[in-house]
Amino acid sequence: MNVDEALIRLGESTSEAVAGILQMFAGDAAQPGPVAIVSADADPLASVSTPAVAASVSYVDGVTGGNVFVMPLEGARALAAAMMGEEPPDDEATDLTELELSAVGEAMNQMMAAAANATSAVLGTPVEIAPPETQVLSSLDKALDGHDDAAHMTSGVFTVFGRPCRLVQLVPNAFVMRMTKALDELGAEYLGDQGPADDAEAMGLDESLRAIKVRVWAELGRSRMPIGKLVGTPAGAVVDLDRQADEPVDLFVNGMRFASGRLVVSEGGEWAVEIDGLVGDLAATGEGL
Amino acid sequence: MARVLVVDDAAFMRKMVSDALAKGGHEVVGEAGNGVEAVARFQELKPDLMTLDITMPEKDGLTALAEIVAADPSARVVMCSALGQEAKVLEAIKLGAKDFVVKPFQPDRVIEAVGKALA
Repeated sequence: MNVDEALIRLGESTSEAVAGILQMFAGDAAQPGPVAIVSADADPLASVSTPAVAASVSYVDGVTGGNVFVMPLEGARALAAAMMGEEPPDDEATDLTELELSAVGEAMNQMMAAAANATSAVLGTPVEIAPPETQVLSSLDKALDGHDDAAHMTSGVFTVFGRPCRLVQLVPNAFVMRMTKALDELGAEYLGDQGPADDAEAMGLDESLRAIKVRVWAELGRSRMPIGKLVGTPAGAVVDLDRQADEPVDLFVNGMRFASGRLVVSEGGEWAVEIDGLVGDLAATGEGL
Repeated sequence: MARVLVVDDAAFMRKMVSDALAKGGHEVVGEAGNGVEAVARFQELKPDLMTLDITMPEKDGLTALAEIVAADPSARVVMCSALGQEAKVLEAIKLGAKDFVVKPFQPDRVIEAVGKALA
C-alpha cells in the first residue's frame, strides 16, 4: 500500500466514525462527503465561513498526529439545538451561549474520540487522545496550529445543517510509515487474494480501489455478560456463545457484515468459510439479517 | 427513587444526565465539574449514587473514584466514558464502579445503569 492509499484509507475511516456521531445528534442534517489529500500549498479550510467553532485534538499515546474539525457558527448553533431536542435557532447571534458551547464541545469530544477509535482500528494499536480543545474563532488562520510535525493532511467534507464543514487529519511521516506497515499486515490476512481482480473489473471498480486491501474476519457468535464477571473470568472458563455449532457464521469486512457461510477445514488444515450467500442475496430472501 | 450526584466537566452532559435521571424518577441532589469537586460533593451530600465522567480537568474520574471508594467502600458509582476508553473503564470496574455508560448514550441506558447499580 502506498502513502496516498494509506492516507485516504485513514481519512475515510476517520470521516466515517465522525459522521456516525454527527448523525446521531443531527440525523440526516449531517452528511459526509469525499475525503481528499491536501497538497502542501492548499488551505483545507478555505471554504469554511467564519466565525466558526474549531475542535482540535492531538494523539498522545501510540501515535502522534491529530484531527481538527471546523464548523461555521450557524451550523454549531443548530447542532447544539438538535442535541437539546430543540429547533435550529432563527436569530443571528454571533456567539455561542455557555450551554451551546458545552453541547458543541461535547459533540466535538465524542467525534474526536470516535476518530481516534477509528485510527486505532486501522492501526491495530490503542490510540489515546489529549482532551480536545474547542474554541470559537473569528479567523481560521491559526486553526491548524500545534501540529507542525504533520507532513501530510487529508480533508474530509461534511455538511451540517446546510453549512460546509471540514475534518482535517494531520499526519506526520512517522505515522504514515507505521500506518502503511499496519495496513499491509492487515492486508496479508485477507483470504480472497486468489483472484478477485476479474470480479472487481466486472463490477467496474477503479484500479486504485481494487488495490486496497481490507480486513476480513469470521464471527462464530456473541455473548453478553456483566463486565464485573468478565474481568473476573479465569483461564479455563467456558463462555457460551449465542449460536449452535451447526449454524452459519458471519463474514465481516472492516466491521461490515457482508456474507454468511459454513465453517470448514481447508485441505491445508486451516479454518475456512464456505460462503452460503452475500448480504444482498440474504436480504432479498429475508434470511438472517 | 435515588439521590444522585452528577459529575461531568461539560455542563451539557450534566444537563443530559440530569434530565435522564429525572425522567427515571430520580432526584439530582448536586453536580460537580471535576474530580476535586466530585470528592468534596460526595462527602458533603452522601448521595445514594454518583455518575462520574472519566476525562476531567484537575482530577480525573479514576482518581476521584479511588478516593471515594477508599473513604466509602459501599459507594455506588456509574462511570461515563467516551468511545475508546475501554482500558479505563475496566480499571474503573476493578476500582469498584458498579456499571458504566458509553457516550453518546440514550437516556434509557442511563436509567438502566443506575437501576442496576442500585439493585
